[in-house]
Amino acid sequence: MTKFESIAQEFRGADAPLRLELLIDYAQRLPELPEKYRALRDAGLNLVHECQAPVFLAVEVEDGKVRLFGDVPREAPTARGFTSIMIDAFDGADAADVEEAPLDALHELGLDSLLGMQRTRGLSAIYRRIKDEAGRKTAV
Amino acid sequence: MTDYAHPEVLVSTDWVASHLEDTEHLRIVESDEDLLLYETGHIPNAVKLDWITDLQDQVVRDYVGKERFEQLCSERGIGNDTTVVFYGDKNNWWATYAFWVFKLFGHEKCLVMNGGRKKWEAEGRKMSKERPSFPRTTYRATEPDPAIRAFRDEVLQHMRRRGQLVDVRSLAEYTGEKMHMPEYPQEGAMRGGHIPGARNIPWSMAVNEDGTFKDREELEDLYVTDKRLHSEEPVIAYCRIGERSSHTWFVLKYLLGFGDVKNYDGSWTEWGNLVGAPIEKGNPVEQAP
Repeated sequence: MTKFESIAQEFRGADAPLRLELLIDYAQRLPELPEKYRALRDAGLNLVHECQAPVFLAVEVEDGKVRLFGDVPREAPTARGFTSIMIDAFDGADAADVEEAPLDALHELGLDSLLGMQRTRGLSAIYRRIKDEAGRKTAV
Repeated sequence: MTDYAHPEVLVSTDWVASHLEDTEHLRIVESDEDLLLYETGHIPNAVKLDWITDLQDQVVRDYVGKERFEQLCSERGIGNDTTVVFYGDKNNWWATYAFWVFKLFGHEKCLVMNGGRKKWEAEGRKMSKERPSFPRTTYRATEPDPAIRAFRDEVLQHMRRRGQLVDVRSLAEYTGEKMHMPEYPQEGAMRGGHIPGARNIPWSMAVNEDGTFKDREELEDLYVTDKRLHSEEPVIAYCRIGERSSHTWFVLKYLLGFGDVKNYDGSWTEWGNLVGAPIEKGNPVEQAP
């Protein structure tokens, strides 16, 4: 089972209030952005434009492994929590696994029903960006 | 705040801070864009009301029905006589939306905290993570009030009569250059543009940098002098899904005292997809004085 699958299993096994708590928990555990990316973030670069909150994302691929870094302000806990899940799931994963991860991560995590349709698009964009960049950087 | 047409619906952060314990008569309600923001800390004794998961029916594309609304209020200890103070993130965008839904179901005493969550936090006021619970009430709602909600057929007739329409989206959405808000690709419509004859007045022009509403004179300059809206004639406001326009609805009705203002919550996601609905593209047409 991949890391993503085990996280998805945990989320889907939880009822709605618990799933919210898990998401808050993830928001609190978002790893600090490494020094080398802070200037980019502060310059407003590498943002996921579909998100209402400034979601910073950087995807690296080295020797077939994905490194994932992100930052989201605390005022946007939903996007922050989701980004934190993505890092937990995909940082250090095989690029091939990231590319092949299910298309609808939000559904897999049971977040679409929890958040409501109108809130999921920004998060889907974060996910798409990760998959796209992992694929693109592997191809190079 | 006293210059507004109905200054009694706005309260300051100071006022709220001094009424935190008055939970018998008053309920503070936080309504945010972000589902989790309340959980990260909120005004002490405030309850949460979510604009999607609480206020919208998840099956039918509509608001919750009267019975569900009654239940939402009862669970939060809101009685028919309770004064409800709304506040939230993003310049009270969703707070005015919740306010509008409460008015739709006939709740009488509704207030908005001027400046919203942003101002409260900027002033370094107390926040709490404790989720308060209040004695359950037996709430009785009225049937939805058609005086503040417009449906598409009415909007079409209103348009044909050359009634006043306000499109509160960004200029790029209004002209049809963008099919959706930059951040919201999936809430698009098949066609870009606006309802013929609508004036474009983006909703956020009504607020100051600190999240409070602009003062009466500035609002008059914008809506009446510059955009030539007449307060004695009916106005219908719309946006993409009806939430930004509930903010403008609030401004026109309560701050400027317009007599007949409705929110068309079907808005562009309905109109822009509706077979046969006339639309107009391009820049705003100058209104004759």
